[in-house]
Amino acid sequence: MANPDVVIIGGGIIGTCCAYYLEKEGLKVTLIERGKICSEASKSSQGHLFLWELPAINIKLAKASKKLFWQLNDQLDFDIELRNTGSMSISDSPESFDSLKKTIEDLRIAEVVCELLDANEFTKREPNVTPGIAGGAYFPEDGQLNPLLATIGIAQAAKKLGAEIKTNTLVTGIELSPDKTKVTGVQTGNGKISTKYVVNAAGAWSGQIGEMAGINIPVIPRKGNLIVVENVPDDFVNCKIIIASGYLDSLKVDNKVAVAANVQQTKEGNLLLGSSREFAGFNKEVNPEVISEIAKRCIRFFPSLANLHTIRSWAGLRPYSPDMLPIISDSPIEGFYVATGHEGVGITMGPVTGKLIAQMITEQKTELPVEKLSVNRFEKQS
Amino acid sequence: MAEKKPRTYEGTSDIKIENPDMIICRCEEITLKEILQAISEGASSVNEVKRRTRAGMGLCQGRSCSRLVRKLIAEHTNQKFGSVQPGTVRPPVRPLPLKLLASLEEDSNG
Repeated sequence: MANPDVVIIGGGIIGTCCAYYLEKEGLKVTLIERGKICSEASKSSQGHLFLWELPAINIKLAKASKKLFWQLNDQLDFDIELRNTGSMSISDSPESFDSLKKTIEDLRIAEVVCELLDANEFTKREPNVTPGIAGGAYFPEDGQLNPLLATIGIAQAAKKLGAEIKTNTLVTGIELSPDKTKVTGVQTGNGKISTKYVVNAAGAWSGQIGEMAGINIPVIPRKGNLIVVENVPDDFVNCKIIIASGYLDSLKVDNKVAVAANVQQTKEGNLLLGSSREFAGFNKEVNPEVISEIAKRCIRFFPSLANLHTIRSWAGLRPYSPDMLPIISDSPIEGFYVATGHEGVGITMGPVTGKLIAQMITEQKTELPVEKLSVNRFEKQS
Repeated sequence: MAEKKPRTYEGTSDIKIENPDMIICRCEEITLKEILQAISEGASSVNEVKRRTRAGMGLCQGRSCSRLVRKLIAEHTNQKFGSVQPGTVRPPVRPLPLKLLASLEEDSNG
């Protein structure tokens, strides 16, 4: 069989989006996945399209990506439950409300649309929220989708365009030219594939793939636990995404484990409760203490959750990048590209990442500046 | 009386599943047609069928439908029943009120 132009490593949202947009550009793609499509962080997500994670560059990427999701939506074989939901942030104390107000000033500078709400207005809109809150905010631009269906649907669309998808295939090495300046192929458990371009979209494992090519990618796993709750009527929450304002603080790395209440209702009616950020290596076991803490914090905001039934909990490993920016980049090795480090906004930024990588490989002008997203930024620090 | 085959032996069961509108996953009301569609699009394990169709995502977490889904996958992908991996089991093993989950920590400390 003819060699592909590009080999993509990783079958999550990032890898499948790269496959789709590279095929759209007319390149022949082979996607390699160690397990099945959508088996790691992408399948563990809540599916929130999160458009207000600072810094401003993240917000620009997220906005562009959401637009692309709506374009992609018509190209897929099935409904991925994409919808405009908006989201709300909620503060339980005057201090955290003050801190939310400050964040909102920064967000407005970054052109995020948001509306500040006092406690009365908030609980009028969301009667299931405890009246004891200090206040909150509404972000009308956020959205939601089913991350499982989105990843599988995009993989299927890429396949239809001609991409070859090899599941249950482990990458064992990256082959370079004798002078180690160019990529020439990928070694797998099922043989070698020669190629001119490689895209490392291996998420929490992308550091290991980088090592095979001699490139430092300081991405490490950051675990998240989620709980799914039985179906509830659609008016349990009117806005489908309600997050404690401490959430943004939980992204910071001060603590080994950070938990913030994060209540989202899927289109099917289930509630997904999160969220947590935890450095625990590659351990994917559910942490009982963390899910208990999540339950406690969500009940504090939504007292009527207490009697609802939880049916499952799970954990996944987000790819954490030390400076909280994704890596969407070429590299010192010619032909070796990196698309990783999105941490909690991988689903949100999937399409824009795929599009930017496709534009870089085909030597077009990228639709957003990518200099700050370069993998080389970590070399300079050391 | 007809001889009864043991249900757990390595092979497919005798249950005939032919009506395309037959419900396979009762919790999520997923039909035979939807499961066969997922298999024809490439799903070859219980987890993959689940991610596409929701079969096994409901209150019973696949306890009722998992065997039937495995049987269907085996029949339509030329695998042996026993080689089709069952879905992943995760806590809680049965539905649990959130208030109990929230009190887990105190219980284990006290």
